[in-house]
Amino acid sequence: MNASSRYNRQIILPEIGESGQHKLLKSKVLIIGAGGLGAAILPYLAAAGVGEIGIVDDDVIELSNLQRQVIYKSSAVGKYKVEEAKAMIAELNPQVKINAIAEKLSGRNAIDLFENYDIIVDATDNLQIKYLINDACLITNKPMVYGSIFRFQGQVSVFNYQNGPTYRCLYPDENSSSANCTDAGVIGISVGIIGMLQANEVIKMILEVGEVLSAKILVYNILNNEQQKYDFEKNTSFYLDRNAFEEKYKTVENVSDEIDAAIVLNEIDSDQVLFLDVRNVDELPKINFKNGIQISLMNLENEMDKLNSNQTIYVYCQSGIRSKIALEQLQKKNFKNIKSISGGALAMNQLLKKESLSN
Amino acid sequence: MIEVKYFGAVAEKTKCSLETVSSSEVSLQKLLQDLEEKYQFESLSFSVAVNQKIVSKTTDYSLKTSDIVALLPPFAGG
Repeated sequence: MNASSRYNRQIILPEIGESGQHKLLKSKVLIIGAGGLGAAILPYLAAAGVGEIGIVDDDVIELSNLQRQVIYKSSAVGKYKVEEAKAMIAELNPQVKINAIAEKLSGRNAIDLFENYDIIVDATDNLQIKYLINDACLITNKPMVYGSIFRFQGQVSVFNYQNGPTYRCLYPDENSSSANCTDAGVIGISVGIIGMLQANEVIKMILEVGEVLSAKILVYNILNNEQQKYDFEKNTSFYLDRNAFEEKYKTVENVSDEIDAAIVLNEIDSDQVLFLDVRNVDELPKINFKNGIQISLMNLENEMDKLNSNQTIYVYCQSGIRSKIALEQLQKKNFKNIKSISGGALAMNQLLKKESLSN
Repeated sequence: MIEVKYFGAVAEKTKCSLETVSSSEVSLQKLLQDLEEKYQFESLSFSVAVNQKIVSKTTDYSLKTSDIVALLPPFAGG
């Protein structure tokens, strides 16, 4: 296949040319997350001829992903996202090398992974991992292209670009929380637009054209098409070296705080365990436990006296994010036997449905 | 008149994306304190911008008429 005819329409742009196309071919981009943002970013980078793209995600495709994660087919439900993404790109542009990495990003693998790439794209859907990506970018000295969504609004920025400000300079409070798409709801178009803006930042950095969105955060509202840029500065008081990184992420990743939905369901009729639903009262699906209680995350701090700090408590929410925050709150108040149910009510509900089908 | 803009989960709490505060001579800290009392943001964290520039919440900044303040929480969806 003739490379220059494939890329002709962009090569004839004076800002790109043959030399720009060569830069794209030589570049390596790592996308963390193959969800809504990743599904928008990946095909455009691949189509433009970015030479090597890594994609990290350990999730499988669910039916409820398809309204926004538009690169996946209905027939691929249940398969690994990164494998499907790789197959899709192989057909779109076989000249691109795709590394499908079906792992969860963690303090253990982040630095080794990042070292193999030039640009890191944050296409994830939770806050904790954004701090991890930010910190690993600091250690490996890579720019981080940030994008995130809240309902009909999105944010985009490029952190750590040529020693510029980072995610921590914008949001220093690591213990904050924000609902993800599973919890807050989302339409495909908003992740598409924000993903596209992220892909655009990647391409500009590679080509060294235009103005990179560094030291600025763009906030976009698709309901009224308002977009605003806010400037922010580098906070030089935060310093992280490799040792501090290892130390920090060694302790944070306490996997034993989580418990698998399948294991939990064996205890659905037990009165030894209290199932704590930290979702709001009206959230579905409801799950009937013999011993269950509902206290929304918002009210937990004030209503903790309803709980016995020595009892075994399994906390759940819709997808497993708010329950982790609840778990931390409870642990701070000396609750000892708390676990957060990974995947939350959605995971349990799916298992229960399967079970009732097979019975 | 000082304009205050809200985004994301903060706007859900305030139930509006924009409001004006009529007092002129007010410090940024006092304004944030008043908003906290009015809306009970509690665990919601956000950064604060004055005239499109993120500033430290503890800055002793006295707001002027026509200043625009924005409360920007982190988003997490993707």
